[in-house]
Amino acid sequence: MADSHTFDAKGHNPDTDGSLPPEGSELEAHLQSKHMVINMGPSHPATHGTVRLKVELDGETIVKIDPEIGFLHRGFQKSCENVTWTQCLPYTDRLNYLSAMMNNFGFLNAVEKLIGLEIPERAQYIRVIGSELHRLTDHLTCVGATGLEMGGFAPFLYGMEARELIQDRVTELTGARLTTSFGRVGGINRDLPEGWADKVHKTLTRTEELLVEMDGLLTRNRIFVDRTKNTGVISAEDAIDYGWTGPALRACGIDHDLRKAHPYWVYERFNFSVAVGEHGDNYDRYLVRMEEMRQSISIIRQALETIPAGPIIVDDWRIALPPKPEVYGTIEGVMAHFKLVMEGIQVPPGECYDATEASNGELGWYLVSDGRGRPYKVHVRAPGFPVLAAVPHIIEGKMLADLIPTFDTINMIGGEVEQ
Amino acid sequence: MKRVLTVLFATGFIVATLAGVSAAAYAVAGLAEKYLFPGASRLSNIIFLMLVFVMIIATLLTLAERKWSALMQDRVGPNRARIDLPGLRNRSLAGIPHILTDVLKMLTKEDFIPGTANRFLFKLGPILAFAPVFALFAVVPAGPSVTVFGHHVDMVVATPDFGVLYLLAIASLAVYGTALAGWSSNNKFALLGGVRASSQMISYEVALGLSLVGLFMAFSSLQLPALVGDLGLAGAQATGQAQYLWRTDGAFDLGIPAWGFILQPIGFIGFFAASFAETKRAPFDVPEGESEIIGYFVEYSGMKFGMFMISEFVEVVVLAGVTTALFFGGHHLPVGNEWLANQPLMQEHGWLYGTILGTVFWVKVVFLIWVQLVIRWTFPRFRYDQIQTLGWKILLPLGLVNVFVTGALVLWDPSLRALAVVGMLEIGVVVVLTMTKKAEAAEGGAHGAHGAHGHDHGHDAHGLPSHASAASTH
Repeated sequence: MADSHTFDAKGHNPDTDGSLPPEGSELEAHLQSKHMVINMGPSHPATHGTVRLKVELDGETIVKIDPEIGFLHRGFQKSCENVTWTQCLPYTDRLNYLSAMMNNFGFLNAVEKLIGLEIPERAQYIRVIGSELHRLTDHLTCVGATGLEMGGFAPFLYGMEARELIQDRVTELTGARLTTSFGRVGGINRDLPEGWADKVHKTLTRTEELLVEMDGLLTRNRIFVDRTKNTGVISAEDAIDYGWTGPALRACGIDHDLRKAHPYWVYERFNFSVAVGEHGDNYDRYLVRMEEMRQSISIIRQALETIPAGPIIVDDWRIALPPKPEVYGTIEGVMAHFKLVMEGIQVPPGECYDATEASNGELGWYLVSDGRGRPYKVHVRAPGFPVLAAVPHIIEGKMLADLIPTFDTINMIGGEVEQ
Repeated sequence: MKRVLTVLFATGFIVATLAGVSAAAYAVAGLAEKYLFPGASRLSNIIFLMLVFVMIIATLLTLAERKWSALMQDRVGPNRARIDLPGLRNRSLAGIPHILTDVLKMLTKEDFIPGTANRFLFKLGPILAFAPVFALFAVVPAGPSVTVFGHHVDMVVATPDFGVLYLLAIASLAVYGTALAGWSSNNKFALLGGVRASSQMISYEVALGLSLVGLFMAFSSLQLPALVGDLGLAGAQATGQAQYLWRTDGAFDLGIPAWGFILQPIGFIGFFAASFAETKRAPFDVPEGESEIIGYFVEYSGMKFGMFMISEFVEVVVLAGVTTALFFGGHHLPVGNEWLANQPLMQEHGWLYGTILGTVFWVKVVFLIWVQLVIRWTFPRFRYDQIQTLGWKILLPLGLVNVFVTGALVLWDPSLRALAVVGMLEIGVVVVLTMTKKAEAAEGGAHGAHGAHGHDHGHDAHGLPSHASAASTH
C-alpha cells in the first residue's frame, strides 16, 4: 500500500490507468491500489466530544482530512434569543464544559460592557479566581488526555486527581461541578464560602505536586518527546491567518494574551508571565499549557491573598436582585424582584463585542440588544473553531499517528465549536 | 504499615505457592516415571509447566496488571466484585473475583461475527494467535534435573537440539494470527492494525535473533538446558550459566556467576526490547493503538477476543521465562549453588533440591513479569515509523556489532572473563548514561530556549514591558 503512488517507468499512474490492460507479462502487472477512507468518529476514543474526521489514507499517511462538525449542535444562539439575559447563563455553561465559569464570566462581562457597568472589586477578584481555577481544570484535562491517548495512562489519572480536587473547590464555591452558572450581571451571586481560601491553597499545593509528577512522566520522556516534537507544526503566520488564539497561538511564538494585551477585571494587578513557545508544534503547545497552569496557580494565590472586602454585586435593583429582606419586607423590593425575574434586565439597545482570555483562546461575544430585555443576537467566537479549521492544513501529508497528539494539544472542545 | 504488611504477606504467599506447585510438579513427574513408562515425566511436565504454571500465572496477571497499574496511578484497583456467601460478602478478596467475572463475561458474551467477514479465517485468527505462544514454553527448563523416587526427572517438556531456534520459529508463527485477524474482519481499522502488527513483528524478528547470537557463541550451544548449564559437581567442569567467572575457594562458593546479562548486556537489552515488541504491549502497542485505530481485534467479541487478550498475557510469562533461562541463570542461585547441591539433605531428597531451585526460577520469572508491568504502565506509545527506526537503525546495528565484539572476545579469552569485563563496562556505561541524562537534557532544553520557559523572566516586573509592547501591536 505504501507505494501506491509510484509511477512505473512508462509513466503509468496505477491509480488512474488501472483499468488499462497491463503490458507485457503478468509478472509486470502492477497492483491496483487506491486510497483508503476511514471515519474517525463521530464516536472515537480520540475525538473529544463528538466530531467526525473523514480521513483519506495512503498507507499510514494522511492524504486528506475533513473534520465534520455538527454532532453536538444544540441551537445555542437561537435559544439565547428566547430567554432573558440572565437565563442565557446556563446555556453558556455548556459551551466549553471543561471551563464553564470562564464562559459564564465572559458572557457577563460582555453584557456589562453593553450596559456600561462597572462591577465591584471583590466580584472582579472572584471572577479571576474562578476563571483561573477553571483554566487549571481545562489544561489538566487537555494535558492528561494527551498523555492518555498516546498510551500513558498514569499522567491522565494524575491530572484527573488534581482536577477532582479543584472540582470540589468549585463545587463549594458555585454549587455545581461542571455546569456552574456562576455569577450574575453586575457581579457574583454568592460570596466565597468560609474557610474556602485555605482549602484552595491546600488544593493548589497538591496540584503543584501532581504537576511535577506529570511533568516527570512526560516532559523528558523520550517517546513522548519524539511523538510530539516537530509534529502538528503550524507557522505563526498561518496560525494568525487561521485566527488562532490562546495557548495554541502562543506556542507558535506570538506573545498574545488578552489578560496582558487588554487587561480586564483586575488582571493587571497580578504578577504573572505569559508562556510563549517557539516552534508551534505539539510539544510547545504541551509546554505552554503546563506553564500556564503554574501561572494560574500563582494568580489564584495572589488573588486570594489580596482580595478586598466589600460588596460582590452592584447595588442597582434594575440589574441585581434586591436582598431577600427587602423583597419580603418592602414593596419596592417585591417590585424590583418581580420585574427582574419576569422581564429580565433591561439592557439598552446597542451592540458590542467583548472578549476574554478563555483556556483555549479568545472567547469573544458579539451581543446585540434591542432593549426588550432579551438578547436580539448572541454570537460566540469560540476559540476552538478556528483551531479545528486549521487541522487539515497541519496534518495533511503527515502520519495517522500524528493526528492524535495534534488533535489533543489543540484541544478543540465540541461544545463550543458547535454551539 | 498495613500496606507494607499486605505486600509482604502477598509476596510470601506467592513464593510459597510457587514452591508448592514446584514440589507437586517434581513429585508427580517422579510418580509418573515410576508407575507409567520411562519418559512419562515429560507428559506430566506438559501439564504442570504449560497448563498450571503458565496459564495460571497468565490468568492472575490480568488481575496483577490492574492492581499494579492502580498502585502506580493512585487508584484502588478492582475491588467491586464480591462473592455473595456469608463471611465473604464484604470482602474484596484482593480482586480475585474479578478474574471469575471476566471469564464468565467472555464466555457468555455474544460471539459476533461480522456479516462481511471471512468466517473461516476469522475463526482461525485467535487460534493462530494463541497456540504458538502457548507452545513456546515447551523448551524452557524450569528447574534442575534431579532424582525423584529413584528415577531421573527433568523439569522441561522437550530438549531438542535446535532449542532456541524453536523459540524463534514458533514465536514468528504468531504473526499469522494477528495478520489474519486484521484482514479477515473486513474492517479498515482492523486491517490497519493487522498491517502494523505484521510489519512490526517481522522486522523485530531480525533484531531478536541477532541479539542472541553472542550468547550462543559464549556458551557454544543452542539448547536451553545447556545454556542454563550444569553445576561442576564431583570434579566435573561447570557449564553454561552455572559456572563462575571469578569465585572464592571454600565450602561456600561465592563469586560472580557467568549469567547472560553480565556477559551480554547489549544482547539482553536488544532481546528484551525486541521481544517486548513481539508481545505487542505498550510502548509497542501500535497494532492496538486504541486511541488511533482501536486494534486488529476490533471486530472480535467474547472468548475470541479473550484468546487475543490471554495470549498477550501468556506472552508476558513466556518472555519472562525465556529471559530468565537465557540471561538470568535459569534456576541457578547467584551464589552458593555448589554448596547447596553438596548438602547431604539435598543429595538425599532430590525433590527438595528441585523444589528449591524451581522456586528460584519462578521467582525470577515473577520479577521479570513485574519489570514488564512497570514498563507497560510508564511509557506512552511509539509512533509506527519510530518503532521501525528503533528496530532497523538502532537494535539491528547494535546486535551486529555485539556479534562481532563477542566473537572476538570469546576467541581471545575462552574463559569468558574478558567478555564479562567488557559486559560490566557496558552496564556501567548504560547506567552512567541513564543517570546523566537529566543534566544533559536540561542543558539542551535551555539551549533551545524551548517552549514555555522562554518568558520566565516575566516573573519579575522586568518582563512586563515586553507584554505591554505586545499589547500595543494588537
